[in-house]
Amino acid sequence: MNEATVADRRLHPLSIGLRYLKNLPSTLLGLPALVTFLNDQGIEYFFVMVMVFGVAVLLINWIVWSRFQYGVGAHEIVIESGVISRNRRSIPFERIQDVDIERGPLERLLGLAKVRIETGGAGGDEGLLDSLSLAEADRLRAALRAGRARDQGAPGQPDETATAPVLFAMAVPRVLLSGLFNFSLLYLAGVFALLQTFEQFLPFRLEDWGQWIGFAEDRLDGRFTPATIAAVLLLALLLGVVTGVARTLARDYGFRLAEEPAGLRRDRGLFTRTEIVIPKRRIQLALIRRGAMKRLFGLGELLFQTLSADREGGGKQSVAPLAYEAEMLPILDAANRMRLPDKAVLLQVSRSHVLKAIASHTLVPLLVIAAAAVMFPAAVLGLALVPLLILAAIVERRAHRFALVDDTLYVQRGWWDQKLWIVPIRQAHTLTLLRSPIQRLLGLSTLLVDTAGASSLSDPRIVDLSSETATRLADALAEKLRRPAA
Amino acid sequence: MTGLEPGQLWVMRIHAAIVGAVVLTVAAGANAVLAVALPVPMGAIVAPVALLLVYPVLFGPTRRFAAWRYGADDQELRIRHGVVIQVQTVVPFGRVQHIDVSQGPIERAFGVARLVLHTAGTANSQVVLPGLSRATAETLRDEIRVHIRQDLM
Repeated sequence: MNEATVADRRLHPLSIGLRYLKNLPSTLLGLPALVTFLNDQGIEYFFVMVMVFGVAVLLINWIVWSRFQYGVGAHEIVIESGVISRNRRSIPFERIQDVDIERGPLERLLGLAKVRIETGGAGGDEGLLDSLSLAEADRLRAALRAGRARDQGAPGQPDETATAPVLFAMAVPRVLLSGLFNFSLLYLAGVFALLQTFEQFLPFRLEDWGQWIGFAEDRLDGRFTPATIAAVLLLALLLGVVTGVARTLARDYGFRLAEEPAGLRRDRGLFTRTEIVIPKRRIQLALIRRGAMKRLFGLGELLFQTLSADREGGGKQSVAPLAYEAEMLPILDAANRMRLPDKAVLLQVSRSHVLKAIASHTLVPLLVIAAAAVMFPAAVLGLALVPLLILAAIVERRAHRFALVDDTLYVQRGWWDQKLWIVPIRQAHTLTLLRSPIQRLLGLSTLLVDTAGASSLSDPRIVDLSSETATRLADALAEKLRRPAA
Repeated sequence: MTGLEPGQLWVMRIHAAIVGAVVLTVAAGANAVLAVALPVPMGAIVAPVALLLVYPVLFGPTRRFAAWRYGADDQELRIRHGVVIQVQTVVPFGRVQHIDVSQGPIERAFGVARLVLHTAGTANSQVVLPGLSRATAETLRDEIRVHIRQDLM
């Protein structure tokens, strides 16, 4: 780095217009204020103000654009920005983790692309070029990758997009099938909430349920038959399916996972085409999610937990949204030689897991039922739920399994939404055994394996091992962590 | 496995007493506010709160102190603590990112220090071992630091 890198390149001029369009909605929010302010002036005055305002914003955007420059040097990329106070950021090639190209619908219309340079710091946008022409984006990425490969001492290859072996890809039928599994009434609820937000624009009020039903009663005149109810339910179901399919299609259309020297590259998306590279050494563990329905067909979703938690998905990246086990094997193998467990080696947790679940999950319902029974004797019928809870506890215990094979810990949990964690033991940071009072009574322990980038809601913990097994397993894991790092 | 320095017991007692005093003050305040509106005696809230505080303030610290155990060999630190929920943690030295030895004013008065191990994990990214003598804490820290350096090379 003998001479300073010159930052002499600008973003694509069209990005001024793009930014302008993107900021338009928030700018428009200022209009009502303007209207009130100019209440007594004439309407022509208002339009003049709006024009002046619009031109001023455009001018500011142009100045910001003209003061944003970047350049690629021998060992770094330099980004200079700022109108009044100048900021010069230099990112050395060896610090660069990923270079992503992202294209939203507007970008694709204009032939532009957003380039994101990630350095593995905790923050989000360490290097964001919004936006370049697609050709320049490709050139820049190739240059950065080549520079990084050179500086990090890895075998350097220019852009190997064409030759990268594809590990997994989804054709349209598979994406549609995946959409069917993503059926959810949750989005319907979302649509309803949205309607509620904008209800002042609707010709009817949502709260007026009584009125609605009144209407319905008038019209139907007592024809509120099981058939109509079934039709309404069917319609809701259909809407749920359609929203699920549409969402999945938008996200996973053209899903493609390829192996590159830099890591695993994933492209997906119908409207917004996103591309990310997951560096192999940042993969902490693999997670396979198999809902009860997917399991029936032998399908599942494969995700990798990565070190960066700043992305959507809480540090978890889907690398195969819907795949058969045989299709997951090459992906797992490519990612640090992970493997699927032999079903036979997965052991169940202690039988007392069921007892604990009953003790901790049925007590509250029982109390509620008892309290309700004082008022309404019929509430005693609620006791019929208790066998269901017990059954659920038994089923959950059957699904909760674990195994330690060589240097990998497998943990499976959940019956309805089953998860299987594949944890290379090298990725464990601490091991913790927990014993609550109930667990002590039953001779149980929970083993917690802490990994980087995990969310506290879903981590590979093994709940309710018998205390001896837990201690033995923790010791075995600790023993493996003692070995010097390879 | 060794226990903590006796000074830590006093640190824990004082911490519990401070928390107890704060809770009691809040209760007294609430009681006074309530007394304005309703004909309630001063003890209506304070007395039950004080009763509830007897165990955690007077006896809790002793039990919690006694529950702490730690042991270190040349590769890992093992800690166990907790009265209601018992926790046993293993921290391999090779996983430690950085180490702090810290001392609050009360801890300084009783000659104890806290060793804080930071790992790259999520749930347990900080493992705290309180109640060490300053010398022990520093010895442990230096020992672990050697491992961090080795791991980097």
